[in-house]
Amino acid sequence: MADKSVKLTIDGKEIEVEPDIYILEAAERLGIWIPTLCNYRGLTPFGVCRMCTVEVARGTRVRLVTSCNHPVSDGLVVRTNTERVRTARRILVELLCARHGKVGVIKRLAENVGVTKPRFGEGDEPCILCGLCVRACDEMAKANAIGFAQRGTDKIVTTPYHEESETCINCGACAKVCPTGAIYIEGAQELRHDELALGPNAAIAVPTMQAVPNVPRLDADACLHFTTGGCGICATNCPAKAIDYEMQDKEIEVKAGTVVVATGFQVFDPSVAEQYGYGRLPNVITSLEFERLSNAAGPTGGKILLRNGTPPASVAILHCIGSRDEHYHRYCSRVCCMYSLKFAHLVHEKLGARVYQLYIDMRTFGKGYEEFYDRLLKEGALFIRGKGAEVTPGVPGGAEAGKLVVKCEDTLAGVQRRIPVDMVVLSVALEARSDAREVERLFNLCRSEDGFFLEQHPKLAPVETTTDGVFLAGCCQSPKDIPDTVAQGGAAASQALSLILRGETTLSGACAEVNPDLCSGCRVCNELCPYSAISYDAEKKVSAVNESLCKACGTCVAACPSGAIKGKHFTKEQILAEIEGVLR
Amino acid sequence: MKIRSIADLDRIKEEGLGLLYPNRTKIVVGTATCGLAAGAGEVLEAFRRAAGEGGLDAVVEESGCIGFCQMEPLVTVHRPGTPKIVYHAMTPKKAEALCRELREGRLSSAGALGEIRCETALLTGEERRFAANGGGGAGAALPDFDDLPFYRKQLKIALRNCGYIDPEDIRHYIARGGYYTLRAVLAERTPDEIIDEITKSGLRGRGGGGFPTGRKWRSCRNAPGARRYVICNADEGDPGAFMDRSLLEGDPHGMLEGMIIGAFAIGSDRGYIYVRNEYPQAVKKLMRALEECRAYGLLGADIMGSGVSFDVTINRGGGAFVCGESTALMASIEGKVGEPRAKYIHTVEQGLHNLPTCLNNVETWANVPVVMHKGAAWFASIGTEGSKGTKVFSLVGDVKHSGLIEVPMGISIREVLYDIGGGIEEGHRFKAVQTGGPSGGTILVDEKGATVRTSTPSEDGAPLGFVPESLLDLPVDFDSLTEAGSMMGSGGMIVMDEKNCMVDIARYYISFLCEESCGRCLPCREGLRQMAAILDRITSGRGEHGDIELLEELGAVVMDTSLCALGGTAANPPLSTIRYFRDEYEAHIYDKKCPAGVCKALIRFVIDPAACTGCGACRAACPVGAVKEGAALPAPVEGDPAAPRKARLLHEIEQAACIKCGACADACKFNAVRKE
Repeated sequence: MADKSVKLTIDGKEIEVEPDIYILEAAERLGIWIPTLCNYRGLTPFGVCRMCTVEVARGTRVRLVTSCNHPVSDGLVVRTNTERVRTARRILVELLCARHGKVGVIKRLAENVGVTKPRFGEGDEPCILCGLCVRACDEMAKANAIGFAQRGTDKIVTTPYHEESETCINCGACAKVCPTGAIYIEGAQELRHDELALGPNAAIAVPTMQAVPNVPRLDADACLHFTTGGCGICATNCPAKAIDYEMQDKEIEVKAGTVVVATGFQVFDPSVAEQYGYGRLPNVITSLEFERLSNAAGPTGGKILLRNGTPPASVAILHCIGSRDEHYHRYCSRVCCMYSLKFAHLVHEKLGARVYQLYIDMRTFGKGYEEFYDRLLKEGALFIRGKGAEVTPGVPGGAEAGKLVVKCEDTLAGVQRRIPVDMVVLSVALEARSDAREVERLFNLCRSEDGFFLEQHPKLAPVETTTDGVFLAGCCQSPKDIPDTVAQGGAAASQALSLILRGETTLSGACAEVNPDLCSGCRVCNELCPYSAISYDAEKKVSAVNESLCKACGTCVAACPSGAIKGKHFTKEQILAEIEGVLR
Repeated sequence: MKIRSIADLDRIKEEGLGLLYPNRTKIVVGTATCGLAAGAGEVLEAFRRAAGEGGLDAVVEESGCIGFCQMEPLVTVHRPGTPKIVYHAMTPKKAEALCRELREGRLSSAGALGEIRCETALLTGEERRFAANGGGGAGAALPDFDDLPFYRKQLKIALRNCGYIDPEDIRHYIARGGYYTLRAVLAERTPDEIIDEITKSGLRGRGGGGFPTGRKWRSCRNAPGARRYVICNADEGDPGAFMDRSLLEGDPHGMLEGMIIGAFAIGSDRGYIYVRNEYPQAVKKLMRALEECRAYGLLGADIMGSGVSFDVTINRGGGAFVCGESTALMASIEGKVGEPRAKYIHTVEQGLHNLPTCLNNVETWANVPVVMHKGAAWFASIGTEGSKGTKVFSLVGDVKHSGLIEVPMGISIREVLYDIGGGIEEGHRFKAVQTGGPSGGTILVDEKGATVRTSTPSEDGAPLGFVPESLLDLPVDFDSLTEAGSMMGSGGMIVMDEKNCMVDIARYYISFLCEESCGRCLPCREGLRQMAAILDRITSGRGEHGDIELLEELGAVVMDTSLCALGGTAANPPLSTIRYFRDEYEAHIYDKKCPAGVCKALIRFVIDPAACTGCGACRAACPVGAVKEGAALPAPVEGDPAAPRKARLLHEIEQAACIKCGACADACKFNAVRKE
C-alpha cells in the first residue's frame, strides 16, 4: 500500500496524517481531548465503551462513530464536540454510573462531561467490561488466560469455567492495564521474601537508584516480549524510539594506561550457618534484604512487613553473622554495627516495635558514630551483649507460639536467654567476591589471607598494588564503610590521574634485558614472568622485555636456559664484584 | 450420477415428474415444523400404516409448508385424473377414515380446504391441469385452493416449490425446473453479466436491510483478496418469524441453486450456511440437499462440467440472536465468540477471516434462480419503483388466518391483514401491526421494530371501518415502510388487537434484547438494562413523571452510539410505541391503569356480587386459593323480580393472595369475574 498521507479536518483544524491510523490518534496530535475508557496505546482498539464517539460527516451523511477504531480518510470531517456528541457522552456516562458510579475513573469522567447527578443511580461494580485486560492477556502476554463469559447484561471477565487458569503466566499485565482496579494481584502488598526478588520487580526499570547510566534496562527473563513474543508496549509508547529488542550483550575493549580495581564485595550467605535458620524459617532475613524492605522504592513500598503481610511487633538484629567467627571469617566487617543501629532506629520510627541488638562488642569508631549509639540507647533499643547462638521456631501453644526464638547468652547478666521475636535480621559479613581470584590473575594482584586484594604497603602505599598503574578502591581491598570507601576511591583516582596527567612514566634502571642474539625463542621466560612483562616476538622469533612492567625480580635471568637474559645493573659480573668487595 | 449436460437434467426431470404425478393415488403430508407441531408426524404414520399393512394402493410422501400454517396438519390427496384435494387439521383418526374412503374408491370433502385444479411450475411455466371435480366423487363442490382468500393475492417466487415437492428428493426440484438455470448460467453467462442482471432486476436484500443485492455482489467481486466467501444467513431469531425456516424445510435446493449462482458470479469457491441449531428439520433437509448436490455434481469440483468449483459447509448456530448480525455471524463461523465488530470496513471487503465475503439471507438467495431464469425485466415488473419482486412474511398474531405468505411488493397492509389474513378475530378491534421483529430483520438494517399504529380504538367501540386508516393502506415496500417509521424487516408481521398492552409489548421486546445483547458495547448492554428497568417500573405501576422523556432520550442515544444494529435499533420498540401510543404510557404512569388489562400490577380481578351465583367454579379454578367464600345472601324476597331466585354463597377474591392469572375469569360462566 502506498504510504500516501491523508488530510482530514477535526473541529475545523486540518491535519495531514499517515493513512493507517485512527481518528483518535489524529485528534491527539492536534491536542484535541476525546474521552475514552477502553483504548490503550499498543493494544488493538476495541470500540466498546463508545465514550470516544465523535460526529463524522462524509458528503451529506452525518453519523456518530467511535474515533478509536474509525480509520482516517481523505476529506473526512470530524466534529468532536457537537450537541449530539455531548448528549451521547453524557448518557453513556450516566449508564456507566448506574453500575460503576463509585469507581474513581468513572467519577472523574462524569465530572469531565458534566454529569453531576446520574439519573440511573450509582453502583459500585468495579469491572466496567472495557476488555483491556482481556486484550492485554491475549496480545501482550499471549496467554489467553482470561476472557469474557456470558452475554449481555450478565457479561463478566473471568477465566475459563471460572477455574484457576492453567495458562496464566502471572505477568500481571491485566492488573496493570485495568483502569478501575477491578483486577489486582492478591498479596501484592504482602512481602513474600522468597518470591519477590530484591532487585527491580518490573521487567523494564532503572536497576537501582544510583545506577550509572541512570536509564531503564530490560530484563529479558521477565519481559513479556521475550518470554511470550507479545507485548512490545514499551516500544510503542517510547517517544524517543529508544527501545531495541535486538540489542545483545557486548564486550567492550578499552585501552587504558591505569586501572582502578573497585569490584566490591559480596555478602556472606547465612544459610551455611544452619543454626540461624535462614532460608528455612520464614521471617529470618539478611541485613541487605531488610534494607530493601525498608526502601521506599522496594517491593513493599518501604513498609516493614512480615511474610504474611503484617508488621512485626518485635525484631532481633543478630550482629557478626559470618564475621569475627573462626568458622567463617575471622575479621570484623566494620559496617555491621552501624547499619544494625540504623535498622533499629528505622524499626522504632516506622513501627514502634521492640528491637533487640545481640552483639559481641559495639564498634562505633567513626565520626559521630558513638553519638548515634547513644541515641539508640535512649530510644529504647535493647542491647544484649552476647552473640546470637540459634534461631528456632517458638514452642507452640505458649507465648512463643508463632514466633521465632533467638537463643543467646547474655554475658553481662550471665544468663541464657530465649527471646521470642517476629523477625530476625542477620547482620551478615562482607566477604571477598567469589570471582576475586580471576580479577587477581587478570591484574597480577595479590590477595591477603582473608581473600581481599592486597595493597602494596599498608601504610605507605594503601591504594597501590604490586602492579604499576593498578590501584584499589573500596571493599575489594577490605570491608569498609561509605566514608572510608569514598576516601579510598578519591585517593585511587588521584593516583591514577597523576599518572595520566604526567603523560609519561619514569622507569627504574633495574630491569631485565634479552639479548636477541642469544635468545633461542624457547619462551620459558614468558610463562615464568610474574608481571607478564616478557612477550614473544613471532617475527624475530625471540622474546623481549617490556621495561615499564618489569620489576627486575630476576626470575627470568635465573631461568633462561641459554643465558640470554641479564638483569641491568645486576649482571653476574657486577654481583661477583660486589661479593668480592664485601669479602675483602 | 453426475449431471454434465442438459440431457442429463432432462432425464432426471422426467424421473421427477413421474414421482410428482404418479399413476396411483398420492398422499402428501406437510411435515415442516409447523405441521409436525400440529401432529403431522402421527398423521404421516397413520397414512404409511394404511399404505403398508392396510394395503392401500397409494404413495405417501412428505413435503414442506404450503403456507397455511394455522390449518396444519395439511394433507394433499391426489388421485390420478382428479384435482388434488387439500385437507386441513388432519388427525390419525381422520386419516384412517380417509384411507377407508380411498379404498372404497370415493373421497369425501369433509375437512377439505379446497382443491388444486391446476399446478404451474414457475420456472418451466409448465401447467398441469387436473380434471375438474366430479370425477373423483368428493361430494360437495370444493373451492379452488389457489383462489382461497388466503392465497388469492399471493405471488410465490421464493416459496415457489414449498409444499409442492419433497424437499429431500432433488428429482422433485429438478422436475419443476430446478438447476436448469444454474446449468444455463454456468454455460452461457459471465460473472459480470450475472451481476448486471441481478442489479437490473432491482433485487434487494430480504434480510431486512434492503441493500441492493447486485451492488453487494459487485463490491465483493471487486474487493481484493486471496479468496472470497459466500454465506447464507439462516440465523432467523425474531420471535414470531419463520420465513427462513419454512423456506429451508420446504425447498432447500431453491436457496442452494441461488447460492451456487452467486458464488460463481462473485468468484467464490467456499460457502457457508449459518443456520440455527433450533431448526433441526431445516438442518436435516439442508444436509440431505448438500449430499444430493454433491452426488449429482452440483457441488464440489467442476460443477456440471463447467470447471467451476464450489462447496458449502453448514454451520449450526448456538441460538444467539446477535449471531444473525453479519459480523457476529462471521465471528461465530471463525470459531470465536459471536460478537459483532465495527463495520467501518465493510464485510464485502473484509469479512470472514478478513477476506471479501458476501452474505445474503435465505430468501434473497432463493430469489436468484428465478431472476436469472425469467430475467431482470420480468422480476422488475413485479413490485414498486424501489422494491421489486415479492416478500415472504410470517403473518401471525391476532389475525384469523395466520401462516407463511408471499406477496408482491407494494401490496397494502390492509390487503395483507384483511384479504389474506381474514381480519381480526370476531369481537376484537385491530390495534397495531408489528413488523421487523424486536430489532427487526436480521439486524442488517438501520431502523426496525417500529409498530405502525393503524387505528385508534374509539371510545364507543365503533367498528374498524369507522376510524381513519391512512396507515393501513400503506404499501408494503422498503421505502414506504421506512418513511412511515416502520420497516420491512426480515418478514415477521405480528398483528395485535386491543387486548395487547403496548407498554408491555415494548417491555417484552426490551427484555428479550437484554438477554440477547452480546454485552460488548456499553450503550446496548447498560442502556437496555436501564430501559428494561424503566419499562418494568411503568408496567408494575411505579412509573414516574419524566420516565417517558427519559426513555426517549436514552433510546435515542442507545440507537446512535451502539456498535452494531442490534443496539442500533434496540430502542425502536419503546420509541415507536411511545410515538403512537403515548396515551397508554401516560395511563400507566399517571392513572396507574393498564388500558389493555395486561399489566398484572395495574389490574385486579373482582367478583361482581350481583352476577355471582355462588357456583364455586372460580374457587376450584384458582391455583393459589385466593377465591374465598364470602357472605351468604339470604333467601330471595318474594315479589322482587330483580332478586336472585335462591340463597347464594357469595365469593370474594383475596387481593393479596391473587396472582392475577385470570383462571377465575375463564372459569366463571356468568361473567361475574371482572378485570379492573
